[in-house]
Amino acid sequence: MKTSVIAGAALSLNFDKLRAALASNTVEVEQAPDMVAVMGGEPEVMLDKALEALGGIGNYVRKGQKVVIKPNIGWDRTPEMAGNTNPKLVKALVKKCLEAGASKVTVFDHTCDNWQKCYQTSGIAEAVREAGGIIMPANDEKYFKEVSIPNGVNLKSAKIHEALIEADVWFNVPVLKNHGGAKLTCAMKNYMGIVWDRRFFHQNDLQQCIADICTWQKRPVLNIVDAYRIMFQNGPQGRSASDVATLKSMIVSPNIVAVDTASLRLFNQVKQLDLAAAAHIGKGEALHLGTTQLDSISIKRIKI
Amino acid sequence: MKRPNYWKGLRVTLAILLFVPILLFFVDFAGVLPDQTSKLLHLQIMPALLGGMAGILVFQFALALLFGRIYCSAICPAGVLQDIINRLFCIGKKKKDGTRRFHYHKPLNVLRYSILGLTFLLAIFGVVELCTLLDPYSNFGRIANNLFRPVVMWLNNLLAEGLARMDNYTLYQVTISNVTLFGVVSGLVALGLFIVMVIFRGRLFCNTLCPIGALLSLVSRYSLFRISFDRDACTRCGSCERACKAEAIDSRGLTVDTSRCVDCFNCVSSCPKGGLRYRFNPPFRKATERTAPASEPETRKEASARAPISESRRTFLATGATVASSLPIVSAIAHEVGDPAGHGKQMRLRRRKGHEKWPPIVPPGAISIERFKDICTGCQICVTQCPSHVLRPTGLEYGLDYMLKPRVAYIDSYCNYECTVCSEICPTHAIMPLTKEEKATTQVGIATFFIDRCIVKTEGTDCGACSEHCPTQAVHMVPYEGTLTIPRVNPDLCIGCGGCESICPVRPERAIIVKANEVHKFVEKPKEEEVKKVEIDDFGF
Repeated sequence: MKTSVIAGAALSLNFDKLRAALASNTVEVEQAPDMVAVMGGEPEVMLDKALEALGGIGNYVRKGQKVVIKPNIGWDRTPEMAGNTNPKLVKALVKKCLEAGASKVTVFDHTCDNWQKCYQTSGIAEAVREAGGIIMPANDEKYFKEVSIPNGVNLKSAKIHEALIEADVWFNVPVLKNHGGAKLTCAMKNYMGIVWDRRFFHQNDLQQCIADICTWQKRPVLNIVDAYRIMFQNGPQGRSASDVATLKSMIVSPNIVAVDTASLRLFNQVKQLDLAAAAHIGKGEALHLGTTQLDSISIKRIKI
Repeated sequence: MKRPNYWKGLRVTLAILLFVPILLFFVDFAGVLPDQTSKLLHLQIMPALLGGMAGILVFQFALALLFGRIYCSAICPAGVLQDIINRLFCIGKKKKDGTRRFHYHKPLNVLRYSILGLTFLLAIFGVVELCTLLDPYSNFGRIANNLFRPVVMWLNNLLAEGLARMDNYTLYQVTISNVTLFGVVSGLVALGLFIVMVIFRGRLFCNTLCPIGALLSLVSRYSLFRISFDRDACTRCGSCERACKAEAIDSRGLTVDTSRCVDCFNCVSSCPKGGLRYRFNPPFRKATERTAPASEPETRKEASARAPISESRRTFLATGATVASSLPIVSAIAHEVGDPAGHGKQMRLRRRKGHEKWPPIVPPGAISIERFKDICTGCQICVTQCPSHVLRPTGLEYGLDYMLKPRVAYIDSYCNYECTVCSEICPTHAIMPLTKEEKATTQVGIATFFIDRCIVKTEGTDCGACSEHCPTQAVHMVPYEGTLTIPRVNPDLCIGCGGCESICPVRPERAIIVKANEVHKFVEKPKEEEVKKVEIDDFGF
């Protein structure tokens, strides 16, 4: 008898709280959006806003965790050429992870051009060191370990960088670019920098293998798309500044298919590209990696 | 009375100062040392001869005329390497089996001057194989590049693995990729030859097989400073003879064969009485003194037998070889003129083999395959220094005249767009120095696309790896079937860097292969398109 009274009281109390919350419209704070898009700021400012909207870095990185940040450092190109992820973004993210108590933050990419030149010219090696992170080589097969990809269609196993295999948490931080082979390179295509043998990808349906590798069980906690500058043609390497558009944007989501779909829409405002052409995105959806239906997810748009 | 031997100290110091940086440069797989270290290689004589660098040759000959064969003891890394081998061999041995194990031998003049003559005669006719095979510096280079460097890399990898456990990535794993079987064999043969010759006969290599040693001997026999006996102090104990690596001291006849003496000054140290001295003692002044040993009591029949014939023969050989040695520069000039003939040779080679094997790709700055072949001594410093590891020593796959020289091999890497390292360090200027701008417009070959092998056609899937890696977008993707795109090559933009070939996933024959230009061409830099200002104010979703 006594307990039921208390239960009733509690119920009415909760109800009151919910009503209050609805009235003041603060329920949004409780429930993080599925995706955050930011526009109009410097990379570090946009990262701040995006993480704030998602409830802070503490939601993703806990004390003592080993964190890996995987940017695109594929090319011997300066930041202005948009061949690689913006070093300012990488630097800000490394700092945030360390502030959240990460035991170490490691950054690497299996580059296309000479790795030392890429690390240096991109400005990322310096940025990581300044922020207190570790920039790790990925130039030799020794750094990669075999893992199985049970849900892959063509790709059943792959050698993945050991830093990632040992990590507790990882962030996928691509730059948005046109791509001669995959048509678009963004979050899903950025996975190709975590594997050693990329020739297999090209031999066995590139688009399918990109989707396959994204099914690896250890998913990134967030995909943070750098669209501060995008390379809209002659990608992924680019020839000159005329291939680059400055959009000052960033799209962040744990949903990799949605983040690539949204990035493609952003890209399409500069240069037309069909979702069907960037076939890995659709194949990713088929493998239940996320949705291309942006209406079905909650998106928070922030303009600075 | 024993005198302090400053000369030996000086020789050893100079040798260390030159040898250590050269050795480190050859094993420096990571590009730690500055490219300027290559300036030390410019002192080498064979590269200077083939490269026609008159200044260096004048300097070296003047040095030899003044002081004797300092080159062989301090400047030539193969000479120093032989001294190191000797030193290692002597460890733990009694003097008579070690440092004092040598005996006087007669010079093998016929052999050494025949080799010298043949080497340079062939070089005049554009056959430089003997120069490549016998040049001491280049042999050292091949030993260091093919034997020492892989060992250093392997040790580095061991250390790197240890450091990585402490999250230290100062050292990193390196892939030992540009070591070829033929390269290793060439290094082993050269090192084996040095070891055997040093153990049994000291500096026999330098005084028989080495054309540079023979060339210098023609000058050093007239050198102004030289080692000679102090007759009053000498007790004829024979220590000096047994200490002489060049086996050039006849302690009974009291003669030092300056043509073979490499200025190591070990004899000076070995003498307890100060009976040998290195001093200003020009041959003209010694004319009378020189015959003196002959008037001494003849203890060896060979000494008397040697005396009469040697003078005339030596003079003859000396004159002949000097003339011959002055010709390479002339021949180099002649070669520039006679280039078309060389091309004919190349064409024949190609036709004989059909189109299965294309000629080798020579590095940007080499100007043409023919020119490169005629100047490169195969020291392989470019192979060790190439940051992309794209240069590989050849075997016999491109013929005897291309043996051991580097080719640009797009097996798993390509020639970096703005890199000019090899052109800056080449001691012969077989690879001429290039600016970044020149490098980026030098066409060493043209990508050739085989559509029937391409994944896009055979598998019907996207690929584009080639275009992805093309720095000039000479290889670009054009619409194919449906949403597929397929590569197309614009030869006017292609510089033959091999980005496409190195990454093409098709096996066994790749679908895009760079075909060498026998004579390098130049392309226009890709046109800068106008930078369009793109402004958006919405996300688009």
